[in-house]
Parts: sequence; structure tokens; C-alpha cells
Amino acid sequence: MERVQTTEENYANPKTCLFHVLFKAASLAFYILSALFIDSFVIIFVVTVFLAALDFWVVKNVSGRILVGLRWWNEIDERGESVWKFECLDQESLARMNKKDSWLFWWTLYITAVAWIFLAIFSLIRFQADYLLVVGVCLSLSIANIVGFTKCRKDAKKQIQQFASQTIASHLTSSLQSAFSIV
Amino acid sequence: MSHSDTIPLHPSSQSDIDEIENLINADVHSATVLPARPPSPPRVSIPISHSASPLPPYQKVPPSASLPPIVPAVPAAAAAPAGSSRIGISSDAFGSSPDTLTEPVWDTVKRDLARIVSNLKLVVFPNPFREDPGRALRDWDLWGPFFFIVFLGLTLSWSASAKKSEVFAVAFAILAAGAIILTLNVLLLGGHIIFFQSLSLLGYCLFPLAIGALICMLEGNVIIKIVVVSVTLAWSCWAAYPFMSAAVNPRRKALALLNRNPESGIFAGLITVVDSAKIARLICCSEYDCGSNEETERRIFFIRVVRPNKYHY
Repeated sequence: MERVQTTEENYANPKTCLFHVLFKAASLAFYILSALFIDSFVIIFVVTVFLAALDFWVVKNVSGRILVGLRWWNEIDERGESVWKFECLDQESLARMNKKDSWLFWWTLYITAVAWIFLAIFSLIRFQADYLLVVGVCLSLSIANIVGFTKCRKDAKKQIQQFASQTIASHLTSSLQSAFSIV
Repeated sequence: MSHSDTIPLHPSSQSDIDEIENLINADVHSATVLPARPPSPPRVSIPISHSASPLPPYQKVPPSASLPPIVPAVPAAAAAPAGSSRIGISSDAFGSSPDTLTEPVWDTVKRDLARIVSNLKLVVFPNPFREDPGRALRDWDLWGPFFFIVFLGLTLSWSASAKKSEVFAVAFAILAAGAIILTLNVLLLGGHIIFFQSLSLLGYCLFPLAIGALICMLEGNVIIKIVVVSVTLAWSCWAAYPFMSAAVNPRRKALALLNRNPESGIFAGLITVVDSAKIARLICCSEYDCGSNEETERRIFFIRVVRPNKYHY
């Protein structure tokens, strides 16, 4: 029992969690600390935005799938309309997802967005329009991921409900049929 | 779901949709191996057992060289039993083919690069699909545009003799805002385009300008610079025209085209003005007979928004 509890408490995917947090932290840290070391705005901009972009990709494509079992993307169908697609693991696997993993996933997403908002307020106060540009880009990337995954999660819940009701309906039908066949 | 009753949009995205549908319909949930398919677009990438291959921007990305090959140091022992069942489930649920799940990082990276190159070729170079906007740039991605914008900004900033950071910030802001405004403009003119697809297209059209900026940076002669700028400007316009024009009603084509040029005029202006030669900008302006670039855009915007009844689609 104890061993089971211990394994449940650990992260199931430490490497993925690490990378999930790594680029976020790196981009925030670089932005904040760069003011001390680096004079050139261009370097600060390019490195920070590059790290933020890396983080966006990692979250969207890797940690989303592994840590919480969700994925979202955009497709253009034959008629030229844009379609947002959401995908999730089936109910059973979702239930088996490590709680710590998903806690880390969601909270770091929110915390990063809040941090960027704070930094935006700072640069507004100091009237630094160019730094506001950097913060703006990073913030929009974070928010895009948050919105995408939240929609995906809602969609997943809806699908689960539909699936559950379908299963119940099919069970009912089959049991009714078997009842009638017996009679 | 079979191939025969749908028009293949683009081989890669079609195979994705097929895979997803196959997996949804499949009864077997053990780690089924899907029939080998041509590599699907990066969208599906990311080997689960191999975790991250950090790639930047929006959808697929070009890799940075420093990616520590996330070595599947993932203790093979631990990963194997957990990994295989997980891969099985994930591949069923996610619709990604097993080969992309377990492919090494380098393969993912190569695929992303290939996608960027193919998008670039579609937009900027002559090819048989240009005239058919329905098939071109279906697999939009924002990585290419991201790199081109940054590159263009960096080049402009490098060649600026003063106020380098300001030049970079202004270039980036103008390029990004300009792409968004142009897209909105086409939308307001009643065109049928998708926001991100159009952003992606405009980003790829910056490629000639980026080359032009690079050449101008290396080359000292003013006359050559003017020629290069004009040529790359024309190339950009040519690249954008079919997509924009197909999206917009023919009567509005001219307006949409005119809108494309002033923006290019700004970039050309940035390049040469920083070398304190305003001739290129004058040339651009007189060629297309636009007064002030921003004014033209504002005027079009004003007409569209304030007097919509005058224009029927």
C-alpha cells in the first residue's frame, strides 16, 4: 500500500515536466536578469521571444500530450474553412493520468501568464514601449496555450459525457433486448 | 473513410485525418501498428517516450541546435512497460501514427524544416499550384514568418548606423502590425481568407525582402541597392498577388494590391533611409502613386468601415 502511495506521489514524467518548466523559467529569467548584464535591446528581444516560442511549442506538442493527455490544432478543410480540432485520451487513460503532472502543467501555465502580466504593467509604468513589445509577444503566446488547452479540456469533458450517455443507452438497449429474448 | 471520396487537400493533412478516423473506428486497442504512411506533417510529431524536442513557435518548428537530445535515458526499463502501453493508448486516442511517436528528435526536426521549405516554395517561387489558392498553403505555419521577420529586423538593425534597437523594434512592430492590418483589410473588403493562413502567407512574402536587406547590408553602392530593393519589392508583390486576389472580389483586386505595395514601400524606405538615401522611397512612392502609405491604408479602412453600403460583394 505504502509503496503504491509513494509511486503515486512522484511525477510520472519528470523529464517532460522539467522541459515544460524549463523554457518558461528561462525566458522569464532571461528577461528579468538581462537588464543587469546586457545593453542591447535587440538581443534581449530575440532571445526572450525565441525562448518563449520554444516553450509554446513544447507545451502545445509535447507536455500537453504527455502530462494531461490533451492536444489541439487548427486545420483547413476542403472548403477553405478553418477548423479547430481538439483531441483527448479516452476516459480510462485520463483517469490514470498522474495528478501531480497535471497540477504542475496547469499551474505553471497560469503562473507564467500572470508573471508576464506583471512585467507588462512594470514596463507600462516605466513607459518602455519596446519592452512592452517583448512582453506582449510572450504574453500572447502564453495566453494562446492557456485558451487552447482550456477549450480542449472542456471539449474532452463534453465528449466523455456524450460517451457515457451513449454507453448507458447502449447498455439499456442490450439489456432490454436480452430481457425480451428471455421472456 | 476512404481516400476516394474526398479530394486530397494536401497529402499530409489528409493522411492525418485518415489516421484519426481509422483510429477512432479501430476496435483493437493494443499498440496497433498503422500501415506505413508517408511522413505526416509535424503537427503530429513528438515522440512520447522521447519527450521534448523543444521546437519553437507556433506549430512546427525549426529546431535550435542546442536541443539536448532528450536522450531516452528515460530508463528504458521503466519506460518499456509503461511506455508501450501508453504509446498504444496514446496512438489510438491521439491519432498520431506510431512512427512519429517513436521517431528520433532529428527526424521531427527534419520534417519541420521540410515543411517550412515547401511552404516557402509554394508562396515565393513559381509553381503549378500558385493559381489555385484552394490548394496552396493549406498547411500554414507561423514559424517561417517568425524567422523571416526576426531576420529582417536584425538585418535592418545591423545596417542602421544609429539607434539600432529602435530600428529593430520599429521594424518588428511594423511588420507584425502590417501583416495583421492587411489581413483585416482583405477581410473587410469581403474577401474569404483565414486569418492565420493569411498571416502565414504575408510572412513568407517577406522572404524576398529579407534577401534584399541582406544584400543591401553587404553591398555599399547606392545604385545597386536601389535596384535590389525594387526587384525584391516587385518579387514580394508578385508572390502575394494570386493569394490576395483570389481571396478578394475582382473589383476589389486593385485595392487589395495597392494595399500590399505601400507596406513594401515602408520596408524599402527603412532599408535605404537608414543609410540616409531617400531615393528608393521616392521611387516606390512615385511608381505606385501613393501619397502617404499610412494614409492610403487608413483611407481604405475608412471607406470599408464607414460606408459599407457602397460596396457590394
